[in-house]
Amino acid sequence: MIGIEAIMDVLRTIPDPEMPISIVDLGLVENVRIDDANGQATIWIDILPTFVGCPALEMIAASITEKVSAVDGVRRTNVRFINDPAWSVDRISSQGRASLKTHGVTVPASGATLPVPGHEGGGVQLRVSAVKCPFCDSDQTTLESMFGPTRCRMIFYCSACRNTFEHMKKV
Amino acid sequence: MTSIRQDLKEPFADLLLSVADDKFILGHRNSDWTGLAPMLEEDIAFSSLAQDEIAHAKALYELIGGLLGRSADELAFGRALEGYRCATIVELPDEFDWATAICRQLLCNRFDALRLARLARSTHKPLADLASRLAAEQRIHVEHADSWIVRLGAGTEDSRRRMQRALDALAPEAPMLFEPVDGQERLESAGLYPLAATDMFQEWSESIAAVTGKAGLRLTIQPPAAQTNGGRHGRHSKHLAELLDEMCEVYRLEPNAAW
Repeated sequence: MIGIEAIMDVLRTIPDPEMPISIVDLGLVENVRIDDANGQATIWIDILPTFVGCPALEMIAASITEKVSAVDGVRRTNVRFINDPAWSVDRISSQGRASLKTHGVTVPASGATLPVPGHEGGGVQLRVSAVKCPFCDSDQTTLESMFGPTRCRMIFYCSACRNTFEHMKKV
Repeated sequence: MTSIRQDLKEPFADLLLSVADDKFILGHRNSDWTGLAPMLEEDIAFSSLAQDEIAHAKALYELIGGLLGRSADELAFGRALEGYRCATIVELPDEFDWATAICRQLLCNRFDALRLARLARSTHKPLADLASRLAAEQRIHVEHADSWIVRLGAGTEDSRRRMQRALDALAPEAPMLFEPVDGQERLESAGLYPLAATDMFQEWSESIAAVTGKAGLRLTIQPPAAQTNGGRHGRHSKHLAELLDEMCEVYRLEPNAAW
């Protein structure tokens, strides 16, 4: 009999291809369901994409299928991408946040996304105030570019320690 | 609700194609700037914009494909010219004029944002979920265009003059974004495209005017004509034909090839 926690333990070993943390810490895993028939289990895993155009999605699905299918007693693994609920930075675990900070990536604080007029359901918050530099903790930082190395990150510059760093978009 | 009434299937597919085709063709135009934008950050920005738009189009083609029993690739590359539902403004080449590229982003992205906000309240749940996701991402595109409009409009005499020229040239094309697909009123009353007609043009033109006003640019924009027969009905510029010939060249050689 395979338990949900055993599957979650496997998922915790899978890193996001573009972030230095696991897909569980990044908050991508929404639901795990197990259909166990005589010790031959089918596993259903629902994943939330960070951005619709994230090119890492197929790689994530392939890693999950490979790792979970290797668990003893698993016959089949089905990975599904869903949009409800929508992924948000609020889903990143505190351990994930700490780990990202050591890699020079900051994450907006938890809380509701600011509502944007004309945009039901909120939007992406860009005009962030006082993003603290992950290297020197200064708040003398400015937005350098709203487009970064991946769809979910943007570039900031710290004028105190003169480093650039990445900040996750609050979506 | 996930199934569509038989008599609404065609207008619904047409509506979703108009959203997807606008994104697909604009994304293709955005990608023209990869490697050629005036600065590194904007090279990355326009490549990212293209990546978003084409991914959004793909997600919509998959949704439509599910209704029509066709694949996303087939919808993207396998239609005849008159099967596309995009508006002319996304078809025009920008001739690598930065002011034109930025003004088009302003006009198209603010329209797309309003349209997605309405579709996010559609009674068709898969569409509502997807549109709400896309609307959140679209916000970045709007912010990006706004910041350049203000920066260049309120920049030097030369940048202001170029922006004004680009805006004057594009503004007459933009209202055709609002051209309804056939049967749009029926989609609206069925709740599939809520508030499609209600003040959408006014909301859009006011939001554009707020940005151009801040940038010190003149804006003259007329509501769309009542009777229209343009992109949403398959009538396109020669530019789209040229673009498709290039974009679909490989697909047409071997439509069933696996990638």
